[in-house]
This record gives sequence, C-alpha cells and structure tokens, in this order.
Amino acid sequence: MNARVTRLRQATLDTKPWLSIERAALLTEFCRQDKTVPVPLRRARAFLYLMEHKEVYIGAEELIVGERGSAPKATPTFPELCCHSVEDFKTLNSREKVGYSVDDNALRVQEKEVIPYWHDRSMRDLIFAEMTPEWKNAYEAGVFTEFMEQRAPGHTVLGDIIYRKGLLDVKADIEAALARLDFFNDSEASVKKDELRAMAISADAVMRFAERHAEKAEALARTETNPVRQAELRQIAEVCHHVPAHAPRNFWEALQAYWFTHLGVVTELNTWDSFCPGRFDQHLDPFYQKDVEGGALTREQAKELLECLWVKFNNQPAPPKVGVTAAESGTYTDFANINNGGLKRDGSDGVNDVTYLILDVIDEMHLLQPSSNLQLSRKNPDAFLKRGLEIVREGWGQPSIFNADMVVEELLRQGKLIEEARCGGISGCVETGAFGREAYILTGYFNLPKVLEITLNNGVDPRTGNKIGKETGDARAFVSYEQLFAAFREQLHYFVDIKVRGNNVIERLYADYMPAPFLSSLVDNCIEKGKDYNNGGPKYNTTYIMGVGPATCTDGLSAIKFHVFENKTITMDALLESLARNFEGDEKLRLRLWNKTPKFGNDEDYADTILQDVFNAFMDEVDKRKNTKGGCYRVNYLSTTCHVYFGSMTGATPDGRRAGDSLSDGISPAQGADRKGPTAVVKSAAKMDHARTGGTLLNQKFTPKLMEGEDGIDKVAYLVRSYFRMDGHHIQFNVVTAATLHAAQAEPEKYRDLIVRVAGYSDYFCDLTPALQNEIIARTEQEAFA
Amino acid sequence: MTVPEVLTEVLKDEVFFDESRGGVTISGGEPLFQAGFVEALLAACHARRIRTALDTCGFADPGVMRRVSEHVDLFLYDLKLMDSEKHQRYTGVKNDVILQNLKMLAERGSHIVVRVPVIPGVNDDRENFGALSEYLSSLGLKDIDLLPYHRLGSDKYLRLHMLCGMEEIDPPTTEQMETIASRLRRDGFHVRIGG
Repeated sequence: MNARVTRLRQATLDTKPWLSIERAALLTEFCRQDKTVPVPLRRARAFLYLMEHKEVYIGAEELIVGERGSAPKATPTFPELCCHSVEDFKTLNSREKVGYSVDDNALRVQEKEVIPYWHDRSMRDLIFAEMTPEWKNAYEAGVFTEFMEQRAPGHTVLGDIIYRKGLLDVKADIEAALARLDFFNDSEASVKKDELRAMAISADAVMRFAERHAEKAEALARTETNPVRQAELRQIAEVCHHVPAHAPRNFWEALQAYWFTHLGVVTELNTWDSFCPGRFDQHLDPFYQKDVEGGALTREQAKELLECLWVKFNNQPAPPKVGVTAAESGTYTDFANINNGGLKRDGSDGVNDVTYLILDVIDEMHLLQPSSNLQLSRKNPDAFLKRGLEIVREGWGQPSIFNADMVVEELLRQGKLIEEARCGGISGCVETGAFGREAYILTGYFNLPKVLEITLNNGVDPRTGNKIGKETGDARAFVSYEQLFAAFREQLHYFVDIKVRGNNVIERLYADYMPAPFLSSLVDNCIEKGKDYNNGGPKYNTTYIMGVGPATCTDGLSAIKFHVFENKTITMDALLESLARNFEGDEKLRLRLWNKTPKFGNDEDYADTILQDVFNAFMDEVDKRKNTKGGCYRVNYLSTTCHVYFGSMTGATPDGRRAGDSLSDGISPAQGADRKGPTAVVKSAAKMDHARTGGTLLNQKFTPKLMEGEDGIDKVAYLVRSYFRMDGHHIQFNVVTAATLHAAQAEPEKYRDLIVRVAGYSDYFCDLTPALQNEIIARTEQEAFA
Repeated sequence: MTVPEVLTEVLKDEVFFDESRGGVTISGGEPLFQAGFVEALLAACHARRIRTALDTCGFADPGVMRRVSEHVDLFLYDLKLMDSEKHQRYTGVKNDVILQNLKMLAERGSHIVVRVPVIPGVNDDRENFGALSEYLSSLGLKDIDLLPYHRLGSDKYLRLHMLCGMEEIDPPTTEQMETIASRLRRDGFHVRIGG
C-alpha cells in the first residue's frame, strides 16, 4: 500500500467512533415544520432536506469522497426508528467495550429537540405497542429476538443497475411508470403515484449530495497550493459532477457512483447489515479492462482507488443499539460483505483480474469493514481458493468461503431464475439472496434449545417460573423418545406461530410508515409496481427466521434418548431435577452427560440423525409460510453473537452444558463436542440439507501450524472442496492459537489489532465481552486433521 | 474389528480421498505382524478404488511381502541401520531380510519412500548414510524422508512404567539434519525432512 493509503488507513484505525447528532437534529427540524401528508413523500422530502443540509466532508488526500456522518467515524442516529434516551447516550459514552463518544451538544440536542418530538413516535414504540402479551413473554424469555425494533429491514445487495444507469435514467423510468398509472381501473394508482414521486425526489436528493461534493472539491482546488492535490481535487469534482446522475464512464467513477449510492441508502434508513455492492469484481471488471487497455489506469492506481474506498467503508461504524439488541451483537461492524469470484450470468467461471486485485486489497488493508468472502464454485480455479486461504492463514478471519454452486441451488429452490441465481450471492453473515431484485428480510434469531427446555418443563420457563409456552405434557410421564420429540414439535409450532404473527404486524408497520423510496428505486421491480421496498415492491420478497443452537438442541435430545430412554441409566425425574439445580452436587452426572453422550459433529449417525430431525421440524414450521408481501418464509442458520445472549437466557441442558453458558454457534458442533477433527465436523455438518436453507454458518478454529506452508494451504483447500462437494453452504476459519487469545485477555492493550472471526464477521478480540472471548477460546481448537 | 468394519470407517473419508487424491495409510506398530488382516484390508480398499500406503519396517516373510505388495500403492519403508550387527543390537534382529525385501519391492517396481529415523549417536554417522546412499542408488530408489528422533513417546513409556533405553539421547539439531540431507541430495536423492 502506498503512503497515501497508509495514512488514510491509520486515520480510520485511530479515530474512535463518535455519535453525530447532525442527522437526528436535521430530521427533527424538518419534520416539525413539514406539512406533507402522504408518508412516502414526507420521507422523501425529509431525505432531500438531509442531503441538502448535512455537512459535506472531503478529507486530505482522499480520492473517494463522502461520509454518512459529518466526518469519518461519525455515526448518525435514526430517531424515527429508535429514539435513544439520554441515559442510552450516557451509557454509550462510558461503555468500556464498543463505546461511542457523545459530546455535550449531542446530549443537549437529544434531550431538548429530538426526544420531545420522537418520543412515542418511533417505530420501536409503535412495534412494542402492537405486540401481544404472548409475544412479549417469549421475547423477554429469550425464545426469539426481533430485528426490526431498532433497525429497518435491510440485507439488501445492489445488482448492476448503477453501472448501467445514472439516477437521471432511473428518474426517466420513474416518469414512465407514472405515465402508465391507470387511474380508471387501479384503486392503488394514487398510492403508487405518491411512492413513485417519492422515488424521484430521493434520486434528486442523492444527486444533490454528489453535486455538493463537486462544489466543495472545486472550492478546495481554488485554494490548494500543491498542484498535484489541486489536480486531484479537480478530478474529484469532475467525477462527482458526473456520477451518480449519469452512468459511470470509468473505474474511478464506478467506485464513486457506488459510494454515493451506498451513503444514500444508509442515510435514508438504518438498514440491517448496511448495504453492499455484491458482486463487485463482476461489476468493476469491464471498467477496469477498458481503462487499463486504454492506458488510462494501471493496476496500482486501481488498487489505490479501491483501497481509498475500503477506508470509506471502515469509516462507518454500525449505528449504536440500545438494550438487549446491544447484547445480541455488541459490535461496530456493519456487515458490508463483498462477494468475490463465483459464476457469471451465463454460468461460466466468474473469477477475473479484479477478483485477484480485490483479494490483494483485502490482504493489504486488513480492516474490519468491508467484510469479504469467496464465492467458490467448482468451476473456479484452485489458485483463487488458495489465494483466499493465504489471507485466511494470517488469522484475522477474512475472507469467509461460500459454496457458489449451492447458493445457486438454494435460490433455484426458492423459485428464482437461473441467471438471477448466478448473479446472486450472500450478504450480512451468510444470507443468500438474489442481488438487485430481492428483499430478504431477517426478522430474528430463534432459540431452539430454549424450546426444548420449555418442553421439558411443560410450558414453563424454569428461569423465571412463568408459564410462557404450551402445556405439552409432563416430561416425567413420557414413555418414549418419540413422545418427547412430538411434544418438542408442538412447542416449536406454538412459538413459531407467535413469532410469525408478530412479524406480520411489523411488516405492515414498515410498509405503512417507513418506506425507503431511494432504496426502492434501485431494486427490481419497485418502479414497475409503484411499490416500496418495504411493501412488496421487489421482484422477490422473503422473510427469514434464523435457527440458533441446533447442535446444543441436538445434543440435549441425544442425551435424553441415549441415557434416559435407551440405556435407562438415569430417570427423567432425576435428570430434570439435576438440570433445575444446574448440576449442583451432580458433577459426576454432568460429566457423564458431557462426555458419554453421542454428540453432533463426529460423523456418527446417532446424533447426526437427531440433528436432521430438529432441522426438519424447524423447516416444516417455518418454510413456505406466507408473509404479508406476496412472498414467503424461509429458514437459515446463523447466530452472529446471539448464541451467547440466548445461552445466558437458557438453563442447564441435558448435554451437560451449564446454565448460562453459550449455545452452539451457527451450525457448528457445540463447543468441545467435536472430537474427531475437522473432516468429521464437515461430514456431520453436510448431513443438514443446506439446499433448503437460505444459508448456514460453520466455524472452524485452527492453529497456525495446521496451515503452514503450501502443504497446509493444500490440505485446507481439500477440506473446503470436500465440504462443498457434499453441498455445504459456508465455512470460515479462525487461525489463531488459544495461547494468543489468553494472552490478549490478560493484556488487551498489547493485542488491540487482534482480529478474530466471531460469527459471520470478524471483530477486534479486545472489543468483545469476556463471555464472548471465552466462547471463542472454547471453540474446539483443531490440532490436526483426523 | 473385522475388515468390513474397518472399511466402513475408511469409507467415511472417501470424499476427502477423492478431493485430495489421498487414501489409507496402514501403520503400526508393524502392520505385517497381522499380515492376513492387512492383506485383506488392502484388497478391500483396492476393490473400492481407494489408494493405499503401507508404513512398514520391512521385517516380514518375503512371500508375505510380495503378496501384500499387490495391493499397496506406496510403501513407507523404514531403514534404520545399514550395519547388520548394529541393527541387531538396537532392534533385536539383523537387517538382511529387510534389505532383501526392499530389493524385491524395488525390482517389482513398487512406489517406495525410504524413511530413516535420525538418532544421534546411533545411526547418524557418515558410514551409515554412505552405505545407505550406495544401496538405494543401486536399487534405483530416489525418495528419502529423514525423520528427526523425538521424545514424544517418552511420557508414554513413563506411564507404562517401562524404560525405552534412549533417555540419554537428545533430538538432532536442525543443522545436523540439514548436513545429512544435503549429503544425500548431492547423491541425487529427493530428500524431505519430517514427512
């Protein structure tokens, strides 16, 4: 990396995230006086006001410009979604882990201006007011979480539209759609008119924002004394005059066009998992080839521009959360996940020159954001995989590796066209989507072991003594494992019903009150339908519930089947009593359950079959249920850091896990349950039918020794290829020694830059809570291939 | 365990063998102490097109060795000492059968990697490696793995209340290993340390 990038990179690392009150203040100011009635128009006008008035920042030496806040690492808040209390702000300011500086002015504005207007008006307030007592009971007990109570529906990935069209072209499409509206036969015509006009205003907002950067760059150029920088500023001005109003003409403009689009989306609303350029190497390659052939660009210059963009991603920490959501995922990282490789639209190998260029950038930049992954198809060369593994070996958790052929299969099963599937990929952690045309909304984590716990207690949550579930029978009276499993299914049905009912209400609240017209204008077919992203506008609309703790749940069921019903070495009565006491005084029993239970992750059918049963039970409950937007529900398996939170809400489990300990993460075996090495782990994991999910997450932790030399890379490459040949969806590696992690816990100041793979993302080890740190250490450290 | 039981366990890893072009290695102890079982297992693997390797000290009846070699794709063949008297002193048997078997396998065209544990003061001298180099050259063998003596087993001996008789020996240094390796490389061998 050159001197410029080195300095920009250091600056983004050194700057502590701070809370910018600018957006909240401007929004409140606008909403106080605005008299617009139709919701989409009001939202669009507010967005235009923000983009016209927010601070324009162009930093020294920058080539790619634009910030979401008023400066790098300045994080705006979204009071229309979730209005922080003064207390929340103070906590953020003093929080040791993942703190955000909050200055006195921000506190004052929040208290005097923002709270008085938004109190009881935020989506969070609306949502909690609409939820039933059953929903609240389950939510508070840690049976499931709710994504939309603090952030807007997201998980959106851009297709190729901005590389083909400028926003002026998009506006022309909007005008054409307006002209086609049928006010004679379509009762929704005027609602559609409002939505389409809102999209046009939003396009103006983002073009105005770009234009303001051009003006600022020109002004800076006039006073700049260094002729080299002066020329750069003039170039920046020219780029910002052109994009995103017009389609980009070259590599630089393509990057800047994306970045303005990105900022538009994440300023309009605080969408889950930020926003993402998706198949960036595919989109950029034509510009790169043209520029390089024409002599306008060298590989080094292209790399510098990409690295300047990488700094921009890293300048945007996730907006701070409140309450339990902060516990679910306390992190700065905002999950913009760049897809590399995979397939082209015509099904051929998608690895190109820009793929390797981006991998070099990832390697050099070593930043939390953007996150990165390999979309590995059987058609991709091994050189691509091995280049990725070289970066993995450095031990900061990136890139993660996905089975591109499986992603295609998953999307086909959901009814997407083959070309759409090939242009898809993953976003967030591991979530499969058809880029540029699908709203695939994650709605909350679902605690499978908790459902087992409530089943074993006949509908009662033993942690509180409250009856929150269904009476599915006294477990002591069950005469067979099958009877227990039937009760578990019934309990599962009860809680999935509660979750889906709540989701459907929340979906309507977003459709009615929180449209996202700018985002909508970029996603197929919102313009044609005249409908918002949050109201079924996209071509595909999918709603997800994420299963958490399948391995812990499996091992618990396996323990009961094995010890209680088959070998009869312990009675259900004694087991339940021991669980209630958290094994106190029963360490011998706990160790027997922990060590002598057939467990998931060892390529043994006894436990792996139970995993399939749990998988199918959850699938049967969720998959194909209808959502309110013309689409349906799907299942995926990722836990981010929620398995730690859910663990804290779940009592002792029959597999010998103590109360409060972390649940298994993703689809990984329970921590320490896999004893036969990584080949057995991937064999077990592959017994899950990944094709029917929208993503699964498998974590493996290796010591650096295992990946030493070309030989080590080869072995891991074989492991990955083998897992994918068995239709696994995703695998990622933490390459770090447990000794290093212990040392970092003891002396965090010496290990500030230690990045580890947490779930579907990487984070600074020292920013993690002690519980999460311990969990990462506890994940089986694979010493060798079995 | 029966041969079908072992094969079931082996086949669990078939997908990895396919991807890595790997296969099964039978090692020991000395697997040829159970030659019948080993032969049957090797044949069973070949019937399923699984590549096989045999890790052996070579001390076996030549007839057995010939039969087994039908189903071995790669021999990992231990050769500790060229001096037969010394061989007897340290291992309890002379090395004549071992050398004959090696010659027979080489003549039959088996794929062989010769593996030499390097034990300071026992077999790391010039004479031993000189003789070894000459003998392997005469057989047309090219691949040698040098295995530095280690003490990973000493704890096990202790726990079994046994003496291994080598408590006094230190593992060879990296330089010692490199000296031996480069000498063999000069003689035209492909040498790996470790392996």
